[in-house]
Formats: sequence, structure tokens, C-alpha cells
Amino acid sequence: MAQLQDNKPLFIISGLMIIYALIAWSGVLHPLMKYLHTAKTADLQVSMGLIAGGIGIFGALINSVRKSGNTIIDRFVLQPLPGILLILLMAMAIRWYVEPLVKLMSAGLQPVLGFKIYKVLNLNYVILGLLAGVIITNSYGIPKFAAAGVKCARFVLKMGVIMLGARYSFAELAKLGTYSIFLVGTFVLGTVFFVLWLGKLFKQPKTMTGVLSAGMGVCGVSATVAVAPVVKAKSEEMAYTIGTILSFGIICMFVFPTVGHWAGMNPVQFGAWAGTGILNSAQVAAAALAFNAVDIKTLKVAEIFNITRVLFLPIIVLVLATWFGKETGKKLTFKEVVIDKFPIFILGFLLLFAMSSMGLFSPPTHYKGKFIDYSYNERTQVTDQEWETLNTTVQSNSIQGLTEEQMAAVKDLVAQRQLAGDFESRADKKVFNKQGEARMFQLESILAAAKGKTITLDPDVKAAIKHAIKQVHKKSKTVTTLTDCMIWFFAFGLIGLGMQITKKAIFQAGGWPLVIGIISGITKATLSFFVVLWLVKDVVLK
Amino acid sequence: MSDDKITIETGDAGKGESEIAKDANTEELEERALSVFSSERNEDLTALVLSLITTFIVLVFTKWT
Repeated sequence: MAQLQDNKPLFIISGLMIIYALIAWSGVLHPLMKYLHTAKTADLQVSMGLIAGGIGIFGALINSVRKSGNTIIDRFVLQPLPGILLILLMAMAIRWYVEPLVKLMSAGLQPVLGFKIYKVLNLNYVILGLLAGVIITNSYGIPKFAAAGVKCARFVLKMGVIMLGARYSFAELAKLGTYSIFLVGTFVLGTVFFVLWLGKLFKQPKTMTGVLSAGMGVCGVSATVAVAPVVKAKSEEMAYTIGTILSFGIICMFVFPTVGHWAGMNPVQFGAWAGTGILNSAQVAAAALAFNAVDIKTLKVAEIFNITRVLFLPIIVLVLATWFGKETGKKLTFKEVVIDKFPIFILGFLLLFAMSSMGLFSPPTHYKGKFIDYSYNERTQVTDQEWETLNTTVQSNSIQGLTEEQMAAVKDLVAQRQLAGDFESRADKKVFNKQGEARMFQLESILAAAKGKTITLDPDVKAAIKHAIKQVHKKSKTVTTLTDCMIWFFAFGLIGLGMQITKKAIFQAGGWPLVIGIISGITKATLSFFVVLWLVKDVVLK
Repeated sequence: MSDDKITIETGDAGKGESEIAKDANTEELEERALSVFSSERNEDLTALVLSLITTFIVLVFTKWT
């Protein structure tokens, strides 16, 4: 009976999950899901609730009928299970309800404030999860039954970092010339060493400085999570680093586009600057779009510079492992650093990156699972109605102001019913894709001209061209699913991490991480501004 | 620095045993106490194996079927 009583929390949490799954399955929640834009995840909500709840009930029953022992199953499954399910329940609430609600509220406040709070403060599952964990620990405290589950947080975060490797591929890196890679690498390593030096100057703990240097140098949240075990950073130090990076990014999102316009930067220069100077990927994209929402090149260059930084992660891990070993008074040999100290989970990141680059998940040219496919396929064609609209427009020559190349691209779209290379060159994929790429560039420039109001385009024609471009943009289901797994791992891990942060620890660190972060961030942004203006002229992509 | 090791009961959800340096500082003890695994290597290896299993399952359902 006492054992049954001990398992009450697990029965309750599992029961709640199953009840929720059944309600979602009945369709009662569909209008709410539609309102929150989460209807696409309805199946996932049902299956996740049923599976997790089922495992929970099963675990609670086993715990009730047998005496707890010291077997592997006890230690790694049965004891942490209540905590794991509690965190999972919180992650589900955040991803399916809190985050969409914050998004909706921020959209509602936009007319009053003039900007979306959600985007500016980056209030996504990362921040919301961390906050939820911190609030629970510092108000109610971690429930006793959940203590062992909370200890799984770091382990799950590591799984998230491993999955991150699947989102990138070598082909994307190869698009940058060696000169640009050198530029990114110099700034990444330069920032890491600069932060380490600042940490020494301000007498900060090595663990804090180490994790902050990776966050400021590489790419924010994922780098922080990846480097933390190497430098033995505490939960609050990771949270501080994430907070510092995101706070600095908020300032950058406003300042970068204004300075870029003021300095007369071209789209490529701004992309290179934002991709080098701003840390968080979402904030890089926001700044690039704020600078130039019309020319897609700005965003593309910024994103490629940004992902190149992510790929420096393993090098930074090695550098920081050596530094940390030396700082703690250990003399490390090359073998010790490369083989003994190199975290196995970073090898996992590299393994998934290699699998992704070889095309196991998606064509090797993909970027975050997105790729362009010009090959002939009925599903890639425009609709009959769209074809009719385009054909009539071309026959009557009613679009004015197009260049010869732009007109040729529209004519070809009518002739082939889809964006593609020449039919005759379909056997030579390289030539075929190049022709398709050139046509897409022309069609995109037509849409940009219409957006910039230099030409007038009939809304139906515009929609048809937009659709044709959209049709060749494919998304890999495998990479999308792996990314979803990564997001869940991060959401789970960050809630658990937040639960390990006490008020006392927050006050102990003081405001120094923010000071160091802002000094190094401003220095990096200023230096990269001049270097980009001086060295990057126009073409940085091959 | 002494290489002597002692065995303590920490990690592995509070039930397992960890081998740590005799002169290990409290930070190392705290670090292991925050994980269900008794060593960093065990934690990393388990994360890697579970990630590969997840990847394989995703491939089976999204690409190979």
C-alpha cells in the first residue's frame, strides 16, 4: 500500500497525459489548436500523450508491485521516470500552448508597440523552458519524486547537440570561399580568446568564462550546451551565458540594420557582417530581413556565415578542453586532449554532420533540410489555372517593365509548366540545375521588383510565379523530423537545467557575465564591421 | 597531484558508485551528483547510442518505408 502511495505522482502525471491524449483524439480541442496554429501537431499530441502516459502507468505498476532495487532498469528508468514525465508534460505545455499563446499575444500587441515582443525578446521554447524550470525550483521547489528525473537534463541536452549535426551539410560550407571561412574562423577564435582574457581580467570563475567564450564566439545556445561539460560549467553559468547572448542579440537586431544603412553597406556586406557579429541564428535572420526584406541574398549570406560558425564547434571544444586542463593545473599531452578529453557526444555531432553531408537524410546540398529540386515531376508544376493566367499574360504581353531575361524566364515557365532547366540538357544535371537556378533568380527578381513597386504585377500572375518558385523548394521529411527531435531534446533539457538553478546561485554570479558579454560582443561587432567593409565587396558565395 | 582514487556512492541516480580522485574538489562531486550517470563518458556514450537509435528509427519511418 505504501508503495502504491509512493507512486501516486507517477500515476497522476501519466493519467493526465492519457486523458489529454484522449480529449485531443476526440477532436474537442481542434478549434483551440486551430486558434493556436498547432493543429498540424494534433496527431503528435495524441500519440505522444498515449505513449508517454502508457509508459508511465506501466512503470508505476511495476514500482508498486515490486521492491525498488539497484538494477540498471531501476536506476535509469524506474526511478527517474516520474521526473522525466513531469518535465515532458511541462515541455508539451510550453511547445503546444505557452509558446503559441506568447506568439499570438505578441502579434496582438504589435500595433501598439510597433514590434513583435516574441521576436525581439526571443521568447521561444528555449527561454520559456528555462524560465519555467527556474520558477518552479525557486517557488515550490523540485518535488521529491522528480529529483532523479531532473538529473537527466544534461544528458538529454547532449542528445540535442548530436541531432544538431543532421541540420547542416558540407556542401553549404563549400559555398563559402576559403577567404570567407578564414574570416569567420578568425572572429570565432578571436572572440573565444578575448572572452577568456576578459574573464581573467575581471577575476571570473574559469567555468563561467569558458562557457561564455564558446557562447559569444560560436553560436549561442547550442555552443553553450556543447561546451558546458568540457569546462564543467554549472547550470546557472549556462543560463547566464544563454541570457547574455540573447540580450546582446536584442540590441544587435536594432542597431545592425540602422548602422548598415548608415554606412551604405550592400546586401552581401550586411549579410556577412550580421552572420559574423550576431550570435543567435534567429536574430541573425531577423536583422538580415530588417536590413533588406527584398533581396534574398542578404539573408542567404548571413545564414551561411552563421552556420559556418556552428561548424567551428568541434575546434572550439578542443581549444577549450586544452585551456581548461591547463588552467586547472593539469599538463595535457596532445593525445589526452584529442582522444581522452574530446567529448564523445561532439563526435556524435560530427557523425551526424558527416551522414548529412553524404546525403543520407536529404540531397547533400540541403540546408536545414531544405533543398531545391528542378527535376520534372507532376507535383512540381503550377496549377492549370495558374498556367492559364501566365499564358494569357505572356500572349497579350501585358507585363511591362521586365528585362529580356526576366521575360524569357516567364516564357519558359509557361512552356514547361514548372521552373526547370532546358529539357534537352536534363541528362546533364549540373547544366540543367544551373539553367534552373538562373531562371529562378530572374523570377525572384520580378517579385522583388513588384515588392519594390518598380513594376506593377497582376496579383494572379504574382501568385502563380510565387507558387512556381515554392514548388521547387523541397523539404526533407527526415531532416524535419530529426530537427523536431532536437527541439524536444532541447526543450526537455532546458526545463531540467532551469530546475537546477537556485536564487542564491543567480545572485552569486552578479552581473559580470553580462558585462564581459557586452564588451566582447561590441568589440567583435565593431571589428567585423570594418573588416567586412574593407574586405567583402560583393561576391562571397561561389 | 595524487592519482589515488576513491570510490564514492554518487551518480547513477544516487545509487551507483563513482571512482574519483582522492583529492577531488567538491565541484567534481557536485557535478556528478547532478547527473544520473557515474561518469561523463557513460553519459556521452549513452547519449550517442540513443541518438543513433533515434536517427535510425526516423530514417526507417521517413525514408526507407
